[in-house]
Amino acid sequence: MQDTVVKLDGVWKIFGAQADDAMKAVLSEGLSKPQVLERFGCVVGVQDANFEVARGEIFCIMGLSGSGKSTLVRHVNRLIEPTAGKIEIMGQDVSAISANELRRIRAQQIGMVFQHMALMPHRSVRDNVAYPLEIRKISKSKRWAVSDHALGLVDLTGYEDRLPRELSGGMQQRVGIARALASDPEILLMDEPFSALDPLIRLQLQDQFKALVAQLQKTTLFITHDLDEAIRIGHRIAIMKDGVIVQIGTPEEIVMNPADDYVREFVQGISKLKLVKAHSIMEPLESFSGSVDGAPRADHGADLDQLIDLAVGTEQPVVITDGGADIGVVTKPRLLRGIQGGKDD
Amino acid sequence: MTDATAELKVTAASDIQVDTEALDASIKEFAGPNGDYYCKAFHKIHDSTGFIPTTFNVAAALLGPLWSASRGIWGLFWGFLILEIIAWVQIGRGAWGNPGAEFYERAATQQARADEFLERAAAATTQEDVDRFTQLADNIGRAAQNTLARADAAQSEAMGIMMTGLILLLVLKLVQGLYANQVYEKQYSRWRIEPENVESGRSQRNTILGAVLTVAIGPLIVYKFTSTADLPMLDAFPEEQASELILGEDGGRLFSVLASWMEDKIDAAAISGGDVFDGIVATVRGVLDALTIALIDTPWPVVMLVICVVAWRAAGPRVAIFTAAALAYIALLGYWDLAMETVALVGAAVILCVVIGIPLGIWFGKSKRAYNFAEPVLDLMQTLPAFVYLIPIIAFFGTGNPPGILATIIFGMPPVIRLTALGMRGVPESIKEAAVAFGASKWQLLKDVEIPLALPSIMTGVNQTILMCLSMVVIISLIGGGGLGKEILEALQYAAKGPGLLGGFAILFVAMVMDRIVQGAFRRADQK
Repeated sequence: MQDTVVKLDGVWKIFGAQADDAMKAVLSEGLSKPQVLERFGCVVGVQDANFEVARGEIFCIMGLSGSGKSTLVRHVNRLIEPTAGKIEIMGQDVSAISANELRRIRAQQIGMVFQHMALMPHRSVRDNVAYPLEIRKISKSKRWAVSDHALGLVDLTGYEDRLPRELSGGMQQRVGIARALASDPEILLMDEPFSALDPLIRLQLQDQFKALVAQLQKTTLFITHDLDEAIRIGHRIAIMKDGVIVQIGTPEEIVMNPADDYVREFVQGISKLKLVKAHSIMEPLESFSGSVDGAPRADHGADLDQLIDLAVGTEQPVVITDGGADIGVVTKPRLLRGIQGGKDD
Repeated sequence: MTDATAELKVTAASDIQVDTEALDASIKEFAGPNGDYYCKAFHKIHDSTGFIPTTFNVAAALLGPLWSASRGIWGLFWGFLILEIIAWVQIGRGAWGNPGAEFYERAATQQARADEFLERAAAATTQEDVDRFTQLADNIGRAAQNTLARADAAQSEAMGIMMTGLILLLVLKLVQGLYANQVYEKQYSRWRIEPENVESGRSQRNTILGAVLTVAIGPLIVYKFTSTADLPMLDAFPEEQASELILGEDGGRLFSVLASWMEDKIDAAAISGGDVFDGIVATVRGVLDALTIALIDTPWPVVMLVICVVAWRAAGPRVAIFTAAALAYIALLGYWDLAMETVALVGAAVILCVVIGIPLGIWFGKSKRAYNFAEPVLDLMQTLPAFVYLIPIIAFFGTGNPPGILATIIFGMPPVIRLTALGMRGVPESIKEAAVAFGASKWQLLKDVEIPLALPSIMTGVNQTILMCLSMVVIISLIGGGGLGKEILEALQYAAKGPGLLGGFAILFVAMVMDRIVQGAFRRADQK
């Protein structure tokens, strides 16, 4: 199933009193951001965002603070109205629907997790998780059952009757995730959910979350300012800078082929061992002149880590196979360059 | 270590040279005229470490407040303007004032009377009269001599007064000269932080303003305190002449014209809006009557029991015991009905305050514009002395308990409005956003998020309102409000100490019981 769940088409967001005039001027005259600020006193939050997210995909939006990533994701459930452009959720244009319908979609189709948890301090954990259902006027017995189930998914069984303040930060964020999952939404919007947590808890939650989403097949938009997190979690990553999406690609594409210096700078410190696959560093078998008899074999999807393990035990290059057939080789120099990030000789 | 660290030059603190160039430019920009002088002065101040000033500003010493005004140091201006005027008044009194004048005058009249008696003695026919008048003349003549001596003494003090004034002036000049640059340097430091808000340089506007103020204030005060001649224009505002100027020869006083105009308007408004005002009074009376039935018409043992049990459940056994004791005091001294009437009055006012105030507070909490509009009104409601609005309340609503409740509401409502609005604004945006993101409607947002999170603040507001309403019980008895307040008012009128104190304690106990119960209840709610 590769159908598109979320689709953004030419979405712009301009903040300020004269946003509409500024938008017109931008489209007709192609003003730059500073020009818009100077002429209309308006700030461009998101500039011409286009992307599609397929069902079950985790789509990370990575950028530094102020890059417009939180603004962008809030367009999906229309917490922020776009100045221009179209947002579709499962083929439905969200900007065209009524307020009632919008609330229904928010309550049923979209779950959201916030950086600062945003749990209601006066409600028990269970009632917090059940709140999206309560909004939909679902009976108490039903929503308590659903809430307990959702808390079970995030390993919080036994904490249902506690108040949020009695829980640690990591547990609170798991409550947040449970709340987002409670109404079994199609889409999850994660607004820097793990940024406020300490690194160890963050790693645990990332793994837990990834497994959970894979199991539940939720389409996820995941915001983060941490490229490591984006690479660890995301199927695809969009990198944002000053409201512009600079590059969209799989983690490997982004690491191997950064679109510009900005992305390259980010990617520099990233470990490639688990990211880069054999097929992107191998040289075709035809151009390799040496002998490959008795050389170790690896699948073309093997990562650098596995290739290193193979290469350590032999003087020969590693032969890359696809469905049993040899297609290429990775020599030691290529392997080392690959670890460095695919620098050419 | 890498090369970069090696290249980093490390300079010991003692070797760092002061970069005077940039500083000089900044000081010159600040000081404007005479920039060079202030550069030097400020450097000296920066270099010195002790308390003793190292610079002397001749201009500040000579010109005094005028210098501070021209440089925009208004604090210094006002302080030394007043001090210098005091010095000048002393000098004036010594130089041309006439400290003995009063005594000389009295001595002259005494002497005249003595002479008169002497004349009468001379003209007297009987020896008895002659002796009597001579005796009187002697006595008065001696008194005149005494007065004259005192006048001379006062006159001789004039020199001393003048010297005091001169010395004071000299010291003031010295202090200004010594500390002017120090103060100016402080202003410069502030100016560096916020150049828009701190005055700098020497502006013509400031110089003129300072000169005008000095000229307007100084001579008039010195004249008033040193001259013996009276100038009625200076003693009292020429209100009669001003009225004449505005209203014409026979227009009467401005005050009486305005007052009668307002009376007409208020009377007209009271008549034309009679139905509305009657409706308001009827509503208030309805609430009051309901409470009166509950508190007074219900048999007293029931009311007493209920109050004690409520105190126990809401605030614990200690408050319940205190409540029982307080109720016993009230009942034993025969204040029961009056006290219950007071509770009914306060209760009605509080109920109306809460019913009106919380929705208003919610609105003001959500709409910044509405709050900006309402805030001055709320300030007015709280700062206006109650006596001021008692009069219009009588005009529109008559006298008795309901108008008293209305007056109480005016005073008591602001806290609950304010604290509700404060609580609403304090609800974290993130939690509100989360509720909206999960599809909450405006009403659900209000009911599930905003009000619960604002509740502690709202409850504080309600408690404040109760206390404010209690403080009005005596005042409203002025316009016919009943209850314990009336007792106090009567005791006050006859200066009856005993009844006044007993009634006062009764009010105190009512207030304490209500406050304890409500606070206890809120604290329990908070802990939940």
